[in-house]
Amino acid sequence: MKQNVLAFAVALAFAAGGALAQEKTIKVTGFGAKTGPVRSFGVNSEAAMRAAADAINKQGGVKLADGSKAKIEVDYFDDGCNAEQGISVVRRIAGSDAVIAVGPTCSNVAEPLFGILQKKVDDKGDSGLQFPIFTDVAIKVGLAKISEWAFRNVPNEATMYSSVFYWLRASHPELKTVYGGVEEDFAHSRASWHVVMKDRAAANGFQVLGESKWLLADTNFATQVREMKKANADVVAISAHPFSLCGALKEMQRQGVKPKVLVGLTSSSSMETLEGCGKQAQGIIIPTSFAPVTKEGQAASQATAKFKGAADLHSMAAWENMFILKQVMEAEKISGGKNDLQADRRKIRDGLAKLRTTQGLMGVTKRTADREADKPYLFVQAKGNSWVVLHNPL
Amino acid sequence: MLDILQAISDGVLFGATYALIGIGFTLVFGVMHKLNLSYAAASVGGAYAGLLILKVLVGAAPWQVFLCAFAAGGVIGYLVYLLCFHFIPLANPLATLMSTVGMLLLIDEIIVHTTEGMPQNYPAMFDDVMLRAGEFTLRGDLLLVFAISVLAMILLLALLYRTKLGLATRAVSQQPVAAQLCGIRVGGVNAATFIVTGLLGGLAGAMIGASVGTLSPLLTTPLTVKGLIVTVIGGLGSIPGAIVAGLLVGGFENVLQLWRGVTERDLYVMLLLFAFLVFRPEGFFGRKAATD
Amino acid sequence: MDFYFGLAQLIGVHTLLGLSAYIVLLTGQVTLAQAGFFAVGAYVSAMLTVLAGWHLAPALGIGALAGAITACAVGFPALRVKGLMLVIATLAFGEGVRLFFFNFDYQVAKGGIKVGPLGGEGFRQIRFFPEHGWSTLEVMLFVWTCVVLAMALLWWFDRSRYGAVLRAVGEDEIAAQAVGVNLTAAKVSAFTIGGAIAGVGGGLYAHYTTHIEHSSFNILVATFAIAYPIVGGLRSVFGTLLAVIFVQGVLIEGLRFLGDWRNLLFGALIVLAMNVRPAGFLGGARRA
Repeated sequence: MKQNVLAFAVALAFAAGGALAQEKTIKVTGFGAKTGPVRSFGVNSEAAMRAAADAINKQGGVKLADGSKAKIEVDYFDDGCNAEQGISVVRRIAGSDAVIAVGPTCSNVAEPLFGILQKKVDDKGDSGLQFPIFTDVAIKVGLAKISEWAFRNVPNEATMYSSVFYWLRASHPELKTVYGGVEEDFAHSRASWHVVMKDRAAANGFQVLGESKWLLADTNFATQVREMKKANADVVAISAHPFSLCGALKEMQRQGVKPKVLVGLTSSSSMETLEGCGKQAQGIIIPTSFAPVTKEGQAASQATAKFKGAADLHSMAAWENMFILKQVMEAEKISGGKNDLQADRRKIRDGLAKLRTTQGLMGVTKRTADREADKPYLFVQAKGNSWVVLHNPL
Repeated sequence: MLDILQAISDGVLFGATYALIGIGFTLVFGVMHKLNLSYAAASVGGAYAGLLILKVLVGAAPWQVFLCAFAAGGVIGYLVYLLCFHFIPLANPLATLMSTVGMLLLIDEIIVHTTEGMPQNYPAMFDDVMLRAGEFTLRGDLLLVFAISVLAMILLLALLYRTKLGLATRAVSQQPVAAQLCGIRVGGVNAATFIVTGLLGGLAGAMIGASVGTLSPLLTTPLTVKGLIVTVIGGLGSIPGAIVAGLLVGGFENVLQLWRGVTERDLYVMLLLFAFLVFRPEGFFGRKAATD
Repeated sequence: MDFYFGLAQLIGVHTLLGLSAYIVLLTGQVTLAQAGFFAVGAYVSAMLTVLAGWHLAPALGIGALAGAITACAVGFPALRVKGLMLVIATLAFGEGVRLFFFNFDYQVAKGGIKVGPLGGEGFRQIRFFPEHGWSTLEVMLFVWTCVVLAMALLWWFDRSRYGAVLRAVGEDEIAAQAVGVNLTAAKVSAFTIGGAIAGVGGGLYAHYTTHIEHSSFNILVATFAIAYPIVGGLRSVFGTLLAVIFVQGVLIEGLRFLGDWRNLLFGALIVLAMNVRPAGFLGGARRA
């Protein structure tokens, strides 16, 4: 009798244990800058990732190969916008049971990080790290092609600015000349003017009169704005982040430089610009890959706000990444088992590589052959205390 | 020709902000013979703290923000003294150097955490005043900053040479042991020096914030470097030297920027420093025999 | 395990950076120029492996030589500048090196694409390690071989007359001169050796991060370089190693569980460390 009770109790315990073991998790770890001047980016990305995971989990989670469902677990690490820390953090994540990492924030972390990854999958002679990375923020042009394990969901600035200048030309044919302002010591802004804006403006029929250069942390823009004033262009395009953008705009106000149209850098379409120099930035036009104009976008914004983050083109990319990953994980039938970790990572990588389109918050995003994204975009303009949609090319 | 003159005047006027920071650096250098690397960060921190008054008194006037920054600077200055200098024996200059580095990192992080790294709009006075003479323009608000630097210099010199505290400060600076023997509390004098330079630093931070129009944690490093360069060129411990050097560096870098572009500009400022170190190591007005 | 090997690599390279400052600090010269020599070593050895196809070992050797020559060139004028002025002068030098590389372009076409340093864009694809199939463990062992050699060299100096001469100069220059020590030789040689060690460290840094740019060698790096020997104490090379493990291992990686508080504590703990142990973890004075 006692033996039967004992056996029954043991069986019950196993059953209960088995039921508890049904709570499977898939770990997706984010990383980015949570210290330093770009701290807000990391905070927002983390909030977006957690909000997205929460939404996915509320809908049941991710379906695994054996039909069971797993909850997504999110963790986030700070890399301080420092290359060595970024590499160390990704090695740490790769050593954990995470299936993929989402990040980084800074392009100067992304470039070295992608460099330590295996360049071509299945290259036995290449001892690079075999771990997939899906970038939400780091936007410097052309980074994903560094490694077949690197994927990005960041806007394609060439396409966006081409569209901006095309639209300006079409809707305001009296605008003929462009003058630039560029932050020379920051990889992203520098490339965005020299490689993107200048080129796309000329391609769309504008005459580029020249550019004024300054550094990221500069404080005195008198000479540069004087050059700008002399050029007297119809359109002034400033490829700079909020701090120096604000410095330049305030100097422009001081010297009475008022171009007919002001164009800004993608990353500057955020609260930072409005808080730093809202008055002077009024009317600046910036192409962006996110504005809360769709139902999904508004829902994502509100969800992210609940996790104490702001929704902008950067953090919403992180949100989108989570849903794309869910889709890929289910399509590639990952097992979610601890022993199949590397196989699952490889499946996710292959799945991401196969994608031709993904569903974004603004519409369908195309994926390119070199693992970049071609995201739908619209133009926003600083009006009052917020960014208002100026034109939706879709 | 007008371009160069305009560039010089733009640069020299902005140099007034460097002068303000330089005065603080050179005072601590000159009095305590110690390097306070956290000074520029503390000044920017004071400026940020000045913005707190806007939370209490919505719609406060710029001068009230500046006053708050001034006071906050003094408090921060005292804290820096307490945490970095008071407990560390004088015989360990390396330890105080490193502790001020730690302080710089700490202040930077506090600023980033409380503001999420976002640039803060800073109120300004006379920022729309531009004095014009034909094509030539001068920024009114920078003239105010210059005036404040000169005023600060006069007040500090008066403090140093006409008050008992100043006398004690000079005594400690020249002969700490003898000063102690005369009954001067070295600790108290050093603390007072830090409070005074802190007050000045808070004001400098506020003035810089007003001139730039926005505050950002990005400001601390370039201000530290410029402040140190200005201190050396002006002469260690010389307040008028710091002002002259600040204006010189401001004008020089702007002219070089006009001539050689922004990416090479700072290289030439370094070369200017080296030129002074080689040909005139005591700076403009420093004492010739620069002992340690 | 990969993470721990990677962390060990990082600790190794930072130890080299710290050791390069250690030997100069022994002579009483506070130098913020080590990041500059680090940068020179990084760019030179990276250019040799990427543009000229050299093996890493000789490339590191030339990088060390380049660092040594640059440091020697700095060491002589440094003699004229005393005390805290030297801090500023070396800081300016380090910044000058960074700005030089900010403006430095040297690209060569290799296999259809251009490789090499490109000013503000930096120097990308320095992939000697992964291209030659080195595992993280092998890279770590290579890095630590270099570190052990450097530590052994400096430790041997400390037990020889040369080390005593250096410390004598650091303690009291006039007294040292009075007993016949050649100040110039002592100070410049210390700078040169420090430059060589920094050059090796820089070369390794370039290869394990695969991408370097001017901002990788900024004032923060220069500050960390002297922070390690100061926090660790100048009594022995192990102090520097201990300080690197403390900063990189404990403060940066170990305290991650504290989340946001980690970076606030970083500066605070350094201030605390200096107040509690002003002469560094292992102390400063060497008892013979």
